[in-house]
Amino acid sequence: MAQEHPHQSAADNYFLAPGMWATVRNGLAFLALAGWIASIAGFATNREQFHFSYLTAFLFCVSIGLGALFFVLVQHLSGSACSVTVRRLEESIMRTLPFGVVLFGLVVTGIHYTYHWSHESAKTDAVLKQKLAYLNADWFTIRGVIVFGLWTIWALVLFRKSRAQDVDGAIAHTRNLVKWSAPGLLLLFITASVASFDWIMSLDPHWFSTMFGVYFLTGGGLGFIAVLILICLALRNAGYLNNAINEEHYHDLGKWLFCMTAFWGYIAFSQYMLIWYGNLPEEIFWFKNRLVGSWEGMAIFLVFGHFLIPFFALLPRASKRNFKVLTFFAVWLLVMHYADIYWQVMPVLHKNGISPHWLDLATLVALVSTFGLIFWAQLRERPLVPVGDPRLRQSLAFHNA
Amino acid sequence: MAAKLPFMETNGDEPKYYAVMSDFNTPEDLLRAVRTARTAGYTQLEAFSPFPIHGIDEAMGEGRSPLGWIVILCALAGIALAILLQWWTGAIDYKLVIAGKPLFALEPSVPIIFELGVLVSAFGAVIGMLALNKLPQYWHPFFNYTAHAGASNDRFLLAISATDPKFKTDEVKALLDSLGGRNTELVES
Repeated sequence: MAQEHPHQSAADNYFLAPGMWATVRNGLAFLALAGWIASIAGFATNREQFHFSYLTAFLFCVSIGLGALFFVLVQHLSGSACSVTVRRLEESIMRTLPFGVVLFGLVVTGIHYTYHWSHESAKTDAVLKQKLAYLNADWFTIRGVIVFGLWTIWALVLFRKSRAQDVDGAIAHTRNLVKWSAPGLLLLFITASVASFDWIMSLDPHWFSTMFGVYFLTGGGLGFIAVLILICLALRNAGYLNNAINEEHYHDLGKWLFCMTAFWGYIAFSQYMLIWYGNLPEEIFWFKNRLVGSWEGMAIFLVFGHFLIPFFALLPRASKRNFKVLTFFAVWLLVMHYADIYWQVMPVLHKNGISPHWLDLATLVALVSTFGLIFWAQLRERPLVPVGDPRLRQSLAFHNA
Repeated sequence: MAAKLPFMETNGDEPKYYAVMSDFNTPEDLLRAVRTARTAGYTQLEAFSPFPIHGIDEAMGEGRSPLGWIVILCALAGIALAILLQWWTGAIDYKLVIAGKPLFALEPSVPIIFELGVLVSAFGAVIGMLALNKLPQYWHPFFNYTAHAGASNDRFLLAISATDPKFKTDEVKALLDSLGGRNTELVES
């Protein structure tokens, strides 16, 4: 059996040292505590700013979890061998999604502050009153719970089957995972559209863009790849997975980072160009509101920072195989992903220009460290790679042509 | 034997040689032979295999293909061409206001910029690849080797070129034989 000696072709230790695991956990717990205390202080003093900052940070974290779910599904469907060694880390990021429904609660409590379709004035608005059957607090909550419920089912099933294969190495799990992944991918795009329509698009309830779900998911996919690269490189610096994730695998992750950068540019531009060309009042105002004052500078910054600069920087083969370049652009693109969501959400609150607030940082620290803790909990006393996967050996020997 | 036409006649010089060639059983044998020959100081090698072999480029000391540079230059040329085309036709040669849009703007020009960039890149990639591979090429001295057919079936061929500074027929033959090559031959060019 191929799975009998999963360790033999690599000298890596697939288990984190308990001491190291605990140190990182304590660091994350401290950050979470500090972040949540600051966030609660903000909640008590400035509800409106809190809910907008929280929504931005929440979307940042959930989109990365969805990016992970997307990549796990695609990996099972494509049957790719090259990426098997990073799949457990992907699954562990995906495994943070079930907890998101708890954090969604704070979005629900802020509906009145963030979404003006919940105001009395919406009932007299000629356009909005027709949308209220869909856009109301009850249905908003129910839809949120349903999409999180579906993501939870898939995240748990995909994770458990993969873990079960660690133990028995049965090929039946691989086949079963493919069967779950096909409808999962379809559902992911539908649910991500529903979620992004509700959570971001309905901030401007008059506005609509059918490709908004893809835009949201693409940003999440990019953020996820950036996070994955950073986690892999951090583990490498700590002495883990030096052979299992080598230069060849990083080259592939770099290709994905490049690919998602290009795809984000494609989707973001397509949405902008169609609306620019149509120039219809009911569509164009969304962009006009985001080109007021310093928001315009931020939009131009996104064009260069989120697309043009990383696109040309990540184009050469050498930069995808250089860990320093890869680290820099992974951090850079994560910042850009946050900036992208910030630019979508915040102009609703601060109409005249960028207005940074300490709550932006506090909620971001609170949520990232919370999601980080859930991710980190998955790695405790569990192998860092899917040791039972029949394609593991092929992945360990992977070589870019 | 085909009749010799006047222009095909040689001046009666001794025959020119292409290489000493040998064929090997497995990709591993070929890789080992390439590495040994390179260690022995031979630089003008050519390997023939029915499928790509991992590590053969490194073993042969082949650099990266310049094709990527050709493609990016073509892409930039396509982008420049697309901007020029749309700006000149729309804003200079035939000014026509459509739906109140500017005569030239970057936003609606991007799809054409993208398409022409891709089109010219694709031409650059295909034509550049053919040119770099010296294709089309109807005849190659490789076909003079009696066992050449194996290279498209199940044999792994190595040629040490006669242009190699270290080339001495007997030494090369002995080297390839010692590495397990079969059908070692001096091949005419």
